[in-house]
Amino acid sequence: MFDPLTGRMAQYLDLLADRQKLVAANIANADTPGYKTKDIDFHFEFQSLLDGAAPHVIEPEGLKTKNDGNNVDVDREMRLLSENSMRFNLVSQLVKGDARDIRLAIKDARG
Amino acid sequence: MSLFQSLSVSASGMSAQRFRTELLAQNIANSETTRTEEGGPYRRQDAVFQSAGVSSPFSSAFQSSLDAPNTGVAISEVQIDDKDPILRYMPGHPDADQKGYVAFPNFNPIEEMVDMTNASRSFGANVTAMNAVKDMISKSIDLLRG
Repeated sequence: MFDPLTGRMAQYLDLLADRQKLVAANIANADTPGYKTKDIDFHFEFQSLLDGAAPHVIEPEGLKTKNDGNNVDVDREMRLLSENSMRFNLVSQLVKGDARDIRLAIKDARG
Repeated sequence: MSLFQSLSVSASGMSAQRFRTELLAQNIANSETTRTEEGGPYRRQDAVFQSAGVSSPFSSAFQSSLDAPNTGVAISEVQIDDKDPILRYMPGHPDADQKGYVAFPNFNPIEEMVDMTNASRSFGANVTAMNAVKDMISKSIDLLRG
């Protein structure tokens, strides 16, 4: 896009979108026997995304497994849901600001 | 587009929970049913969930690395309860056996109500997830406006 930072922010938004999909899937499968919570190691993946790799899905450890083999913790997922949206809003505002700055600079140059 | 797929995932969750609620309502409605087409009293039914891929018209064309096949949820089967019916002594009842006992469904209202609450909460969680994703999509569209 405009500069390296904005490009990174765009990648960050993509990663947030991917994670949101996993959270939605976890919530949808909260009553599915045997289903295991899926997530991505966010910080690690952001680093490797910058190196050009695609994120891969992991199953987080340390979650309590219910009798039917399902380990979705709806509270955890709801927290991630809002956290993800807020991060997304924040970074999309930043990208928007970047775009505004550039438009302003172009306008200024025209006099 | 991953965000739009999240909508399908949440929608699959909502429809699965809705189906489950329908079965629960059916169980409650049939709590006193002594006659069924299969013969004998009504037997409680419950939905068994299974994770399943969501079908989106675009997903086949644009496969991304995160398109792991099992993300949404679907009903894998409807389980029919095999608990023994409850026998009540009602000699005047048309379905009574020779000894005067009538087989009634093994119905526990508490079980149904707990399941119902659970299903409705899960439905709500999927709605919340869907709203969050809708918000993210509209924020992305906002970027175009500048």
